[in-house]
Amino acid sequence: MTLAPERVRVEVAARMKGGVKVYGSGGTEVRALDGVDIGFEQGHFTAIMGPSGSGKSTLLHTLAGLDSLDGGSVYIGDVELGSLNDRKLTMLRRERLGFIFQAFNLIPTLSAEENITLPLSIAGVKPDAEWFGTVVDMLALEDRLHHRPTELSGGEQQRVAAARALVSRPEIIFADEPSGNLDSKSGTELLEFMRTAVRELGQTIVMVTHDPLAASYADRVVFLADGKVVDQMDDPTPASVIDRTKILGG
Amino acid sequence: MIRTAIKGLAANRVRMTLTGLSIVLGVAFVSGSFVFTDTINARFESLFTDVYAGVDATVRPDEATSAPGEAYLNANLLTEVRQVEGVEVAVGSVGGFAQMIDSKGKPIGGQGPPTLGFSWVDEPALNSFTISEDNGRAPTAAGEVAIDVATAESQDLAVGDEIDIQTIGGIDTFIIVGLASFGSEDNLAGATLSAFVLEQAQVLFDLEGKLSAIDVLAVDGVETDALVAEISTVLPGTAEVVTGEQQTQEQLDQVTEGLGFLGTALLAFAGIAVFVGAFVIQNTFRITVAQRVRELALLRAIGATGSQVTVLVLIEAAILAVVASAVGVLAGIGVAELIKMAMNAAGLGIPDGPLTIEARTIIVSMAVGISVTLFAALLPARRASSIPPVAAMSATGARTTPKSLRTRAIVGSTLTAAGTVAMTFGLLLENGASLPLVAAGAVGLFMGMSTLAPLAAGPVARLLSAPMRGITGKLAKENTIRQPRRTASTASALMIGVALVAFTSIFAASIKASVTDTLEGSFPADLAFASTNFSVGVSPVAVEELAAQEEFSVVSAVSAGSFEIEDVELKVVGVDPSTVSRVYDLGPSIELSELGDDLLVQEDVLVSNGWSIGDMITVDYPGSVSDSVEIVGTFTDATFANYVIAEEVFFENIGDDQIVIAFARLDEGVTLEDGRAAADAALSEFANVDVNTKSDQIAQAEAQVDQLVALFTGLLSLALVIALLGIANTLALSIVERTREIGLLRAVGMTRHQVRQMVRWEALIIAVFGALLGILIGSAIGFGVVTSLADDGLGSFALPAGQLVIWLVVAAVAGLIASLGPARKAARLDVLKAISYE
Ligand SMILES: Nc1ncnc2c1ncn2[C@@H]1O[C@H](COP(=O)(O)OP(=O)(O)O)[C@@H](O)[C@H]1O
Ligand SMILES: [Mg+2]
Repeated sequence: MTLAPERVRVEVAARMKGGVKVYGSGGTEVRALDGVDIGFEQGHFTAIMGPSGSGKSTLLHTLAGLDSLDGGSVYIGDVELGSLNDRKLTMLRRERLGFIFQAFNLIPTLSAEENITLPLSIAGVKPDAEWFGTVVDMLALEDRLHHRPTELSGGEQQRVAAARALVSRPEIIFADEPSGNLDSKSGTELLEFMRTAVRELGQTIVMVTHDPLAASYADRVVFLADGKVVDQMDDPTPASVIDRTKILGG
Repeated sequence: MIRTAIKGLAANRVRMTLTGLSIVLGVAFVSGSFVFTDTINARFESLFTDVYAGVDATVRPDEATSAPGEAYLNANLLTEVRQVEGVEVAVGSVGGFAQMIDSKGKPIGGQGPPTLGFSWVDEPALNSFTISEDNGRAPTAAGEVAIDVATAESQDLAVGDEIDIQTIGGIDTFIIVGLASFGSEDNLAGATLSAFVLEQAQVLFDLEGKLSAIDVLAVDGVETDALVAEISTVLPGTAEVVTGEQQTQEQLDQVTEGLGFLGTALLAFAGIAVFVGAFVIQNTFRITVAQRVRELALLRAIGATGSQVTVLVLIEAAILAVVASAVGVLAGIGVAELIKMAMNAAGLGIPDGPLTIEARTIIVSMAVGISVTLFAALLPARRASSIPPVAAMSATGARTTPKSLRTRAIVGSTLTAAGTVAMTFGLLLENGASLPLVAAGAVGLFMGMSTLAPLAAGPVARLLSAPMRGITGKLAKENTIRQPRRTASTASALMIGVALVAFTSIFAASIKASVTDTLEGSFPADLAFASTNFSVGVSPVAVEELAAQEEFSVVSAVSAGSFEIEDVELKVVGVDPSTVSRVYDLGPSIELSELGDDLLVQEDVLVSNGWSIGDMITVDYPGSVSDSVEIVGTFTDATFANYVIAEEVFFENIGDDQIVIAFARLDEGVTLEDGRAAADAALSEFANVDVNTKSDQIAQAEAQVDQLVALFTGLLSLALVIALLGIANTLALSIVERTREIGLLRAVGMTRHQVRQMVRWEALIIAVFGALLGILIGSAIGFGVVTSLADDGLGSFALPAGQLVIWLVVAAVAGLIASLGPARKAARLDVLKAISYE
């Protein structure tokens, strides 16, 4: 088992040092994260892969300040999350992070537009009209802005979620199986858009997936097993990811 | 099935506890009212049976055949009764009005329970009072008095002290020689008691040579029935004899009738609480059914029939109902104890002893709790049966299609209209209002309005949320609009309580306005003299004293009593035709000085009876005196009564001791202060007569109304509390439903504070919506009732806007308080659990 060498780069958007997360105790103890050291460079699209139960979601949640570690530390920029109270963590999520979940990303009583600007509304900030236009344009959502989530297709809903993640210009976007519930065409559209956002807008994205095809859209793939980072791969292709998965899985 | 039901309840423990509480409160009030009423009946019964145990027969004046003011026995009768065979002992006694006066000159008691004076009976077996050894002795000479222990204690009086006592003749000073108890009690239901020797009592009560009653003890072995038969042979037509038992029962009935009225009033408020509780129950079950669509659909999918699902929900309701009702019955015992304590604190002595818990109390309270709960759960349970099995498969669960707006509008309007008609009809019935009809109408009206309310929920929520800033306000608005039925039905529970409170405020304000109008308008007098004692009026001697004061240019009294026309008992007043118009404006159609021996009839009453001026009608006075009188004119002011006769006629045929109020006008140049001083001097012997200026009178009337309003509002606040439980319940359930949504909001950056804010706004919208509906309905009912009572002296409709606004604010604040728990729960939500997928 080889640990990833620490990449010494100044612009690290988020990193975890010695991350440990334990569920349960005694005989039923599960080490969901078991000493994870990892960093995510700015402007990069990172995919996290691993078999079910390997700790992918736990890693994402602890990185995003939605859950706390039992050992080690998480930094967003140079802010250590363990030292923040709920209010400061909430502010940090609001101002510096974006989210795309696998399902239930939208508030059903709000229109697409209101959902997109939700983090800004919560912060009491007016959206930047130009940037809003750019995002909506890029995601081809102009016609859907006044629709409620129930009136949108699954793909459109996830694009609205992506637009919401982008609109506040977060330092980093966390996505947990964003294309998991989509048909392949909508899934591909969404992944392509995410890659565009990284390449053209310099957005940083960390995405959990178990789909090698989805992972191939990333700049780098991190492999997780039993709560440990077991491998990494730059510039993945579907074939290389599948190969690596087979080796790790075997 | 039952096991599944119990699991269903256990899964929603907190919600079900809150719902159960709304049943508990209503049922507790019902059982408390019963326990209280039964307890006073039982306690007084045992007390009276104890106390009167020795009396075998009582001879007393026959009210029906005695001339007015002559209801007494001739003292000679005692000798005759003593000679009747089978009579062992016979003792005569007198009773009358005796008002004790405290050291500051203020009357003691009398504002409710009577102030009784009587002659001390030396034969212990025939005396209902006892004086224990360390409490002195019985009065044995003129100038001595024994008073009840309770009054002595409350006034800090002891044996040997002096006390002023006012009787119809005036005020005298007595030495307290003993403190008497009534059986085991210090007092008789709060009445003040003074006992004198017979000779003096006869003088004080103006009954020289007369007796109020003769109590008889039978010779051993003589049957009371035989005794009564024997005695009746020696009695004149104006006297009658009854058995001791009968006398006891009559006395008991008198006491318990007064207090029993309270029990009925309490039951009415209990009914309101139960009704409001029904709304809360229905709402809770509807929401829980909606939240368990998938679970219930799964039951359908594995083979349960629709009616089995209904039964399942009803079993849940039944378990809840049985448990909550049982708790309610127990809590009711506490409620009864509280009422008893409150009554004792208010000076209405209830004899000590255990509470009486009849099987009826338990059965009726349980039945009310269970049937109301089941009835309220019926609709949600029926809806549960219409969940298709396929709903188990779909992710969101099938939405039950809401009733069409048109159906809702039609059903709601019909109910509202029917309720309004029933209420109006009930109020305007010929022989006074019919309470059951009015209540049924009110129930219909409230149900109709709550059916219509969802139609208004959207627009109202939009309007109310307009000033709510930011995303929290927006989300709160959307949440209340999303489920208009839920919002409306939660608000409806509050609506009922607020409507009744608003109605009370409006009714009270209208009474005050009418009283003020009447006093301002038809009251040219400067001073008024009324009795502070409920059981005795202004003495004619006092009126004479007042008239003798030179500060007054005119003094005129009004007597009130009753006579019969065509066998219907009617209120009539007697006025002095030569002076009344100078102190009080009845609005007569003729010069009152021309009244003579004839009759004035209130103008509307004249019309409704089909009479006209000049008609001769026969009136029957008490004591079987009939007279044929001419209707010589009409008058408008119905404050006192609808019939007016001359004072002289009144005194002669009804009595001269029924003056309810006297008025005086100051002579030219006399100041109000001087007039008051003159009145005080003239009335020094009559402590029960109060001197009032016009503004005093208004203030007094208002204070009385305010007291009642405070009592009613206090009792109605229970209905408000139950409605607030409903708001808390709905919010908590909605939050459970929106767990993921709230998790998402938190994930993308909503602070706990903002989440709380959102829930608070929601509560505020619901509460204000309910309060607005309530104020609207309360005002409508108020307007209807006040205008329909215009003929009964309620002339002015007043809308106390300030008070209504206060109620609105109170409801809003209460809604906020109800939202505290749910808001905290929402804010504490585990973000991760909420957003985790499956
Ligand atoms: N809330 C929890 N309580 C107990 N165990 C948990 C909890 N969340 C995750 N786990 C366990 O932690 C391990 C990692 O879970 P997770 O991060 O969800 O894996 P992945 O997303 O890679 O499927 C699994 O064994 C899972 O069962
Ligand atoms: Mg996962």
